[in-house]
Amino acid sequence: MANLGAPGKTASDITDELPTFNVENMQNNAKIIYYSRTFMSIIGGVIAGILGFTGLTGFIFYFLVMAITSVGLAAKAGFSVHSYFDGWNRIILDGFLGGLLSFVLFWTFAYDLVHIF
Amino acid sequence: MGAGFVVGVLGVLILSHAAYSTIQYRSLLKITDEQFSGPPINVVMELIAGLVLCMWAALTVPGNFLSILPHSDENRVVALPSNLDFMIFNHRGKAFPLSIDAK
Repeated sequence: MANLGAPGKTASDITDELPTFNVENMQNNAKIIYYSRTFMSIIGGVIAGILGFTGLTGFIFYFLVMAITSVGLAAKAGFSVHSYFDGWNRIILDGFLGGLLSFVLFWTFAYDLVHIF
Repeated sequence: MGAGFVVGVLGVLILSHAAYSTIQYRSLLKITDEQFSGPPINVVMELIAGLVLCMWAALTVPGNFLSILPHSDENRVVALPSNLDFMIFNHRGKAFPLSIDAK
């Protein structure tokens, strides 16, 4: 009985105790989430700078933008998360804080542009 | 890919126009010597429109989600090893009747 050797695939005769996934597509989906969140962090930073948020309000705005992005990503997956990811945590929590530094950078940049110079 | 990109560029243009409007509003406030409490309502509307457009671009431009289930319909192609050294063509398979298995 030949093992096909492709990533994540097993011969269907063997009862697999572990669920196997197509790893290449998992990485593709994770990459899409990362790009979407990074872009939305930057846009959120620019908007927070234009609106003139200072201090805690800006961070609350960042979490709001990230929450909206999570809902958008769940809608993009058609809310049937289990055929694209291995859990709800991936789509909701993954990369939540990764865009924070980009957000702060563009927030200060836009704030300086609009309100100081 | 093309349409989503254009929508994203449009969203960024709307945001930069809103930034420019806010700069002009602030210089107007400096003339009348008031405090900046928030941008005018049309700038806020522009920012919401720009946010919606950029959100749509952020969700459509990077690409579609691909299914990760191994037995789904679009994952049917099996990745066979393409190493030419181990392929043998001169075997007993040519004695079997030809059966084409097409789904």
